[in-house]
Amino acid sequence: MSFILKNVDKSFISQGKELEVVKNINISVQDGEFLSLVGPSGCGKTTILRMLAGLDYPSEGEISENGEPVTGPSPNRGFVFQQYSLFPWRTVLDNIAFGPEVRGVDTEDRYQNARNYIEMVGLSGFENSHPHELSGGMKQRVAIARALANDPLSLLMDEPFAALDVMTRHKLQEELVRIWQEEHKTIIFVTHNVDEAVFLADRVVVLSKSPGEIIESFQIELERIRDRTSPEFIDLKKNITSLLEK
Amino acid sequence: MNKTIKALILPLIILIIWAILTTYTGIIPSYLIPSPSAVWVAFENLLLNGSLITDTLSTLTRVLLGFIIAALVAIPLGILLGWSKNANDLSKYIIGVLRPIPPIAWIPFAILWFGVGLGSAIFIIFLGSVFPILINTADGVKRTDKIYTESAYTLGASEFQTLKKVVVPAALPNIITGLKVGIGIGLMCTVAAEMIGSSNGLGYLILTATSMLDSASAIVGMLAIGVIGLGFDYLFRRAEMKINW
Repeated sequence: MSFILKNVDKSFISQGKELEVVKNINISVQDGEFLSLVGPSGCGKTTILRMLAGLDYPSEGEISENGEPVTGPSPNRGFVFQQYSLFPWRTVLDNIAFGPEVRGVDTEDRYQNARNYIEMVGLSGFENSHPHELSGGMKQRVAIARALANDPLSLLMDEPFAALDVMTRHKLQEELVRIWQEEHKTIIFVTHNVDEAVFLADRVVVLSKSPGEIIESFQIELERIRDRTSPEFIDLKKNITSLLEK
Repeated sequence: MNKTIKALILPLIILIIWAILTTYTGIIPSYLIPSPSAVWVAFENLLLNGSLITDTLSTLTRVLLGFIIAALVAIPLGILLGWSKNANDLSKYIIGVLRPIPPIAWIPFAILWFGVGLGSAIFIIFLGSVFPILINTADGVKRTDKIYTESAYTLGASEFQTLKKVVVPAALPNIITGLKVGIGIGLMCTVAAEMIGSSNGLGYLILTATSMLDSASAIVGMLAIGVIGLGFDYLFRRAEMKINW
């Protein structure tokens, strides 16, 4: 799925004052691309992602997917939230099967499908656990599986690994790259972690401090799974970090 | 120590003090508070002549009917009020004004609308139960974390599916709290409810005993209502524990 953001502005009214969140955003995302948006906290990167999902609307400008304007949430665009978003009253299996369930897929088929994704994210044996019984990393794996089980054309991810420890985060990043290679989805991944963006994405778009504007965009050609210790990797990280610190 | 035994210590101490103040010393004369033994005798009489059982059963029937109708009205309405800002704004003052009116004040209308008897009693209990269920349900729906509804929408759920599969389960603990409070208040309305044309029931028992200055029997009726309330509380607590998330 391709996305085009054209001259997008977003402002909120806060205590009677207009607060500009993002300004003049122009991005075009190709089908199957892995794009990462990085920026300091409060730069509006989550707002951009929410607008792509149809959970928020631009104040000015246009957002389209495959040429059609985005008018609201759609199962074509899977969303993975930063905070834990699993339905606490549902088991892992029923969380993952939620999308197919509301689409009317019959029980046997949607459970079979959900089991495949449970295996993909390495949680076999936890089908009947409830979210409160899982660790933070496991919860985010289920959230990714839940988004994927709905077979969306794209995956919008809002700092899904931010709350995890470094070891778990690195492991899930590798798994995400592997899943992306297998499933050929368009992924837009928001993060404030430069290392994460360089490790994951084909292209890293760097946003300025609030109100967020695009400063620069980096095409990353390094072979996957990327080596964090390679000089190219370290150079890219340095360049992006210095832009953010300006 | 066993929790049940622990919970019985204080009632036992009160019983002993009660007995000392009445039966053994006579500090409190029996026309103010009957002695435990007088209450026991009244209890035995009411049990043996079968009226305690019939009264309990008829009160239970009325309370359950009033409560179930209240739940059937208040849960869907509460979901609507919690979900739709318009519905909430439109009904704010109506509910705000109706809620504080004591159910007993409705008795004249209850008689006009439902006649003397079961219908009126159920209506009074309904009025006691309906608001706590309504308010708690609406509150639970309003407090549903946005992240759950947004997740549902991005997974393709319609508004109705989101309500049914996400908002209602998320609000369930509040709904159960509402039911628990609702049935408690319903029980508190039994005396008022049974003032109108009832010829049985625990409220009726208390009223007739009081008019005959038989305070011991009145206490038996009061305690029976209390025990029913305890039973319902236990059931709802079990239901709350079933929600293990």
